[in-house]
Amino acid sequence: MTRAAHLRNLGLVDYREALDLQREVAAGVADGSLPDTVLLLEHPPTITLGRRSEPGEVHLPDGAVAEVVEVDRGGKSTYHAPGQLVCYPILDLTRHGQDVKRYCRDLEEALIGTLRAFEVDATRIEGLTGVWLSSPPRKIASIGIHLTKWVSTHGYALNVDLDPAPFTDWITACGLDGYQFTSMARELGRPLAVDDVRPAAAAALAEVFGLAFDELPAAA
Amino acid sequence: MATGTAVDVVMPQMGVSVSEGTITKWSKQVGDHIEADETLLEISTDKVDTEVPSPASGVISEILVSEGQTVDVGTVLARIGGEAGAAAAAPAEAAAPPEPAQAAAPEPATQAAAGESEAAATELAAPLAQPAQPVAQENGKSFVSPVVARIASEHGIDPAQVPGTGSGGRVTKKDIQAFIEAGGQQQAAPAQTVPTQAPAPQAPPQAAPQAPAPSREPQAPGSGETLEPMTAMRRGIADHMRRSLDTSAHVTSAIEVDMSKVVAIRQKLKKEYGAAYGVNPTYLSFIARATVETLRDYPWVNGEIRGDQIVSKSFVNLGFAVELTDGKGLIVPVVKNAETLNLLGMAKAIADVAKRARDKQLTPDDVTGGSFTITNPGGYGTFHGTPVISQPQAGILGTYAIVKRPWVITDDNGADAIAIRSIMNLTLTYDHRLVDGAYAGRFLRDLRERLQTWGEADY
Repeated sequence: MTRAAHLRNLGLVDYREALDLQREVAAGVADGSLPDTVLLLEHPPTITLGRRSEPGEVHLPDGAVAEVVEVDRGGKSTYHAPGQLVCYPILDLTRHGQDVKRYCRDLEEALIGTLRAFEVDATRIEGLTGVWLSSPPRKIASIGIHLTKWVSTHGYALNVDLDPAPFTDWITACGLDGYQFTSMARELGRPLAVDDVRPAAAAALAEVFGLAFDELPAAA
Repeated sequence: MATGTAVDVVMPQMGVSVSEGTITKWSKQVGDHIEADETLLEISTDKVDTEVPSPASGVISEILVSEGQTVDVGTVLARIGGEAGAAAAAPAEAAAPPEPAQAAAPEPATQAAAGESEAAATELAAPLAQPAQPVAQENGKSFVSPVVARIASEHGIDPAQVPGTGSGGRVTKKDIQAFIEAGGQQQAAPAQTVPTQAPAPQAPPQAAPQAPAPSREPQAPGSGETLEPMTAMRRGIADHMRRSLDTSAHVTSAIEVDMSKVVAIRQKLKKEYGAAYGVNPTYLSFIARATVETLRDYPWVNGEIRGDQIVSKSFVNLGFAVELTDGKGLIVPVVKNAETLNLLGMAKAIADVAKRARDKQLTPDDVTGGSFTITNPGGYGTFHGTPVISQPQAGILGTYAIVKRPWVITDDNGADAIAIRSIMNLTLTYDHRLVDGAYAGRFLRDLRERLQTWGEADY
C-alpha cells in the first residue's frame, strides 16, 4: 500500500532556515494538514552538535569556515557542506511501524538502496547507526533523528562529493574509536553531482516507506 | 487540580524492538509546574531523540533517573503531583525556615512565593500545612532510585542508613549527597524518616565489591581540588585503554640490546641523510626497520584475533605513539606498508607522521589500520615500561633510553672483558591469548640480533 506524500527538492539552504522549515512542516504533519513530507537539500558548511555531543568534540582548524549549530537531534556532532545530500523525512511514524529502531534501519535501507543505484555496495555495522562501506569500514552516510509525538525531523546526510576530512574531529582521528569517512565520488573515482543522486534517493525512500511522491515546486 | 495522587512518568515504549532508552535532557526540574502534554524530558535511543510529554499537569515531585542514564522501558522516571511530591518540593522551596504559623495557615496565596505559578502554589499549600509527616514505606520495602543506588555503592554506603525526605521516606539524590558531605553522619532531617531496617549505626563504609565505574556526573570538588571536564580525546584514550586491558591478556617481556653499532652507524649517516635528504636517521627508525624485518618471521606478533579466527597479515602497518605538544593527549599515526620502506624511507615516514600529528594534520587514513605499534617513552630516561596494546593488535614494542653501561664482552680471542657500551632495553607487550612467552622471547632475541649486528651496508 502506498501513501501520498510530498517531495520538496530544495537547493542550498541555510541550516537554521531549514530547521525552521522542518518544524513548520512537522507541525502540519502532526495536525494532519500536511501528508508525510520529504525535504532534499544541501547545506552550506555547517557543524551541528547533537544531544550527545561532548565538550571538546569540535576542533575547528584555523581558517576553517563553518557555522556551528546546536540542534535537537540524536547522535553526536556532524558536518554538512555542499556536495552532501541532506534528506529530512518528516513522517508520522505511527504510520510507519512506530518503532525508533526500525525507523533507523529503514533509513539505512533507503540509503543502501540509493547507493546500490550507483553500484556502490554499502552495508550496516551493528551498533553503529549510519551506512558504511566495508574493509576497512568507512562511513558514507550519517543518521540523526528527532521525534515529537512520533513525527520525525532531521534524517540523513549522504556524502556525494565532498572532502571528508572535516569529519575528522580529534576523537575520530586518533583511531581510538577511529573510523574513516568517505563519499560516493571517492568510491566511484569520478565526480558526482548531488542533483544526480536526488532521484535515486527519492525512489529508495518511496519504496522503503511505501510513499507515492507528489513533487512540490522548490519555491513552495 | 491537585489530586493528591502522584502520576508516574515511565520510560515509554519506543517500538517493539526497543527495550531501553537513555535520558538526555530534563526540560523541567523538581518543583517545576508542568502542563499535560508539555515536554518533560528527552530520551535517546539509537540515533533518535524523542521528546516525552508529561502525562499530567502538576508539580514535578520527583525525578528518579538522571541525565545520561539508560533504563528499561517501563521504569518510573519521575512523579508528578501527589502529596509526597509536594513534600519533596517543599524543602527546596522553603529557603527561609518555614514558620509553623504560616505553614498552618491554609491560605494558598501566602505560599505563592518564588514566582511559582498559582497551580504550584496550591500544591505546595498542603504539605506545608503538615510538614514532614513521613508516610510509611511503600510496600514495607525501601526503594532507592538507580542514581541513589549508584552513589551509595560508589561510596560504600547502605542507603538504609540515609535519612530520606522523599516519598515514603525514600532516599533522594539530595539526601544521599548531603549524607556523604556530612561524612556519613545522620543529618538534621527528621529522624523518624529513617527507614526502619536494622540501622547499624556508623557501619564503616565497606569496600565496593568491584572498582566503581568512574562517575561522569559533575560533582563538587573537595577542598583543595579543582575540576575540569575531560576532553573528548582524554575520554577516548581512557575508554580505549580500559577496553584494551579488558580484552587482551597483557604480558610484557624485556630484553637488553647493545646498540653500539647502531650508534656508530647513525653517527655517520646523520650527516649524509641530513645533507642529502634533510632527514634525521633517528634510533627509532633503526628500531622500526629491524622490527618490520623481525615481524616477518613472527606473524602472530603482527596479527590479530578476530572472533574465533587468527588473522595474519602480509603487510606491516606500523603505528607510532606520538604525544601531542600540548601534553594533553596521545595519537597513534600509522605508517602503512612499512615493509616496503628502507631505513631512509622509514626515517622520512616517521618524521612526516609525527610532524603531522603535532600539527593536527592527520587524515582518518593516517590513524587507522595499524597492525603493530611502537611506543618510545625512553626520551625521558625511563628504562622499562608495560604499555597497553592498541586494539585489535596483538603487540606493542616499547623502546627505552640508550645508556652507556659497563658491559661484559667476549673478544676475538674468547677472553671476557668489561667494555663501555650503549645499552637499550626493549619491551614487547603481547596478547597472551595469541602469543606465548617463548614466541615473544624469540621475537625479542631476533630483534636484538638484528640491531646488534647492524652493518654499514644494511638499510
